Amino acid sequence: MSQTTEQSASRAPTASKVILQAQGLAKHFVMGESVIHVLKGVDLAVREGEFVAIEGRSGSGKSTLLHIMGALDDADSGTLMFDGRDLLGASGRERSRIRNTEFGFVFQFYHLLPELNVTENVLISAMVQHGWLAYMRQRAQLRQRAKDILAELGLGHRLRHRPQQLSGGERQRVAIARALMNQPKVLFADEPTGNLDSETGRQIMDVLETLHREHKQTIIMVTHDRALAREADRVLVLNNGRLEKAQ
Amino acid sequence: MYKLHLILKYLRKRRIAWVSLAAVMLCTTMVLVVISVMGGWLRMFTASFQGLSGEVIVSARYPSGFPYYQEMAERIEQLPGVGPGGVVPVIRTFGLINIGNLKGDGVQVIGYPIDRIGAVNAFPQSLWRQHKRYLEALDKGELTETERYALGLKQREGERWPSFVPPLETEEKATPLTDAERRRLQELAEQGLANPSYALPYPDLVYETAARFASPRAPDAYVKSAPRWAGMIAGIGVIEIHRDERGRLIGRSDDLYQLPVKLTVMAIDPGGVTVDLRNKSERPYWIVDDSHTGVWQYDANTVYVPFEILQQDLNMAGVPDATDEAGNPAPVPPRTSELHIRVADGHDMNAVRDQVRSIVLEVYRQHGMSERTAPNVQTWRDTQAVFLNAIEKEKLLVTILFCIISLVAVFLIFCIFYMIVVEKTRDIGIIKAVGATREGVASIFLGYGLAIGLVGAGLGLLLAWLIVSNINELHAWLGRVFHLQIWDPQVYAFDTIPSTMDPVEVAWIMAVAVVSSVLGSLIPALRAASLEPIEALRYE
Ligand SMILES: Nc1ncnc2c1ncn2[C@@H]1O[C@H](COP(=O)(O)OP(=O)(O)OP(=O)(O)O)[C@@H](O)[C@H]1O
Ligand SMILES: [Mg+2]
Repeated sequence: MSQTTEQSASRAPTASKVILQAQGLAKHFVMGESVIHVLKGVDLAVREGEFVAIEGRSGSGKSTLLHIMGALDDADSGTLMFDGRDLLGASGRERSRIRNTEFGFVFQFYHLLPELNVTENVLISAMVQHGWLAYMRQRAQLRQRAKDILAELGLGHRLRHRPQQLSGGERQRVAIARALMNQPKVLFADEPTGNLDSETGRQIMDVLETLHREHKQTIIMVTHDRALAREADRVLVLNNGRLEKAQ
Repeated sequence: MYKLHLILKYLRKRRIAWVSLAAVMLCTTMVLVVISVMGGWLRMFTASFQGLSGEVIVSARYPSGFPYYQEMAERIEQLPGVGPGGVVPVIRTFGLINIGNLKGDGVQVIGYPIDRIGAVNAFPQSLWRQHKRYLEALDKGELTETERYALGLKQREGERWPSFVPPLETEEKATPLTDAERRRLQELAEQGLANPSYALPYPDLVYETAARFASPRAPDAYVKSAPRWAGMIAGIGVIEIHRDERGRLIGRSDDLYQLPVKLTVMAIDPGGVTVDLRNKSERPYWIVDDSHTGVWQYDANTVYVPFEILQQDLNMAGVPDATDEAGNPAPVPPRTSELHIRVADGHDMNAVRDQVRSIVLEVYRQHGMSERTAPNVQTWRDTQAVFLNAIEKEKLLVTILFCIISLVAVFLIFCIFYMIVVEKTRDIGIIKAVGATREGVASIFLGYGLAIGLVGAGLGLLLAWLIVSNINELHAWLGRVFHLQIWDPQVYAFDTIPSTMDPVEVAWIMAVAVVSSVLGSLIPALRAASLEPIEALRYE
């Protein structure tokens, strides 16, 4: 199946290498007596600079798949290679480091830290990356980078606001800025527009689109909005625990 | 970096953390105050009772005292742990006092050889007129003219009747002490300490006038002898010097030194314990000074008189040329009720006590007396063992209490931190999602606990220090406003509450407070560390 999906990636830059490759990923959950097999062998290869959309009905396991690929969750079986490294077998510390420096996450519910202001929220991944001394040494540059990203996302005037003082669209843009702070190789977005009205959702999609087009950002986005999925290079459908090419 | 940042943020933005901060602070304060007062009490007790007796005391088993004390003293002084001048005889008895027909009372009478007593205890330091008032003046740093005359810094032309006691409250302006005056005051204070005496402070005329005034019908000879009466030093309670609500000692006046005092003591027959009423001796004294040792039991009802005079009056002076029935010389040796012995620095008190004991027994044996009647030899600690043990036990109790309080603090911090962790589950997930490790997340909460412990203990120390250093004022204020007297000098032996902190104790308590805070945050921190980012993010 993976062959078919890859061949169908008509718009993908064929020259670039595969950065994230999943094979036979399986995952089940135990809920009391019943066992739910959410993923039953997912194969997927994402090339550098590709924008992949994963579609599927609610409860089909899209988030679960995204979490596994983003090293936030474990799979029962299968392999997952990121840039030549085995993600599933990596230590917790290594997975943390990869999440921090190589991956960026955007969630449906923004997930900003309420105690921090906009700039600090964006800086948090840089703070996690660097030790105290190293951070202090590069503080000015890092701050500048955070400001630049925020400005680019149209939030230049909101630097000192708290998340509660922002609209949903603004919050999601802050979340995107945070995800981009450490220049991730892969940006994971789990229904980034799910909580927004269509107009605002459109703007967020434009942001992702621009990132993809102008910065060659690799993006894996989960959505159940078919129209939004069309923006991607490639649309896959998660159905019955497997990925299929969209009709 | 994010750890520090988040700790600071949470410390500032999460009000609930302030509750744990306050808890740590109050626990620390409470324990510090209690331990400081008790520890201070113990130190004060040690210092004061050591100040009132020698380190080793030979005390008679009978109220009539024990003989051959001079011989014992000579030999004890040869001990390496004592040295010359390190043994001083003291007589202790009871008497009736009549102060200028104004007040009569039963008192403890102590006969001190005042020129030597400073070698074994700190009694001279308790004397107000001869010592303390100069220090008080130095302390104040400024004096009025009247005060300068009273302290002898200035002399009025042809003055016969100086005052010692300037009024407490005056309109007069005080001026700062000059360097020369400071030196002079220092000198006077040291003189008083080096040569305390029972000498009468006033020129003679005062005493005759006062004696005539006190008993108008007294024979001339009695009045004429007034300037030669002996001097008596009275505990401040005996002459009703007391504290006003501002904590000052008041009640001293020049009249004090013009009141004839009659002291009646009863001689006790050396053979036994019967009191021969015909052997009572009545003697007039002048009060020459007052003593404030800080130990209530002494200050309230003790008077100090010259050793030899008391020895005479109690028939303890001995009869060197006495004969027995057959006409053979049988001198009666002088007696004393106690020998106070100073133990030189670096020598073990208990070892000296044992050496002294064998000397005492040997002297008794040499004179053919039964060892069973020999005086007791004890260290001052032995004599106060009941008290000291009680306090040590109480301190243990407080330490146990402290452990319980620490547990409460641990539990409180645990609860509050657990709450914070639960409340912050989603945030923990976010932080982990952006790459924080388990250890990183755990250290946020441990660091948070540490910060609360440090700040709480620091503030607690500050508060405790404020309370302890102002405890007497606070106590006085409580007394004024709520008519509450917690500190009863009769029970606690001191008229002021101890107000010192022991650095070692403080360090221990602070350390325990900080460790408790970290301990309280340990389980919440571990829980936070073990949260799976996905679980945490699902938490809405
Ligand atoms: N921790 C869990 N324990 C038990 N079941 C779980 C757990 N996480 C997910 N599931 C189940 O796995 C299935 C897939 O969940 P998932 O969140 O991946 O779906 P989804 O496609 O993202 O749905 P939606 O579009 O609503 O977000 C669901 O049936 C869900 O109930
Ligand atoms: Mg989902």
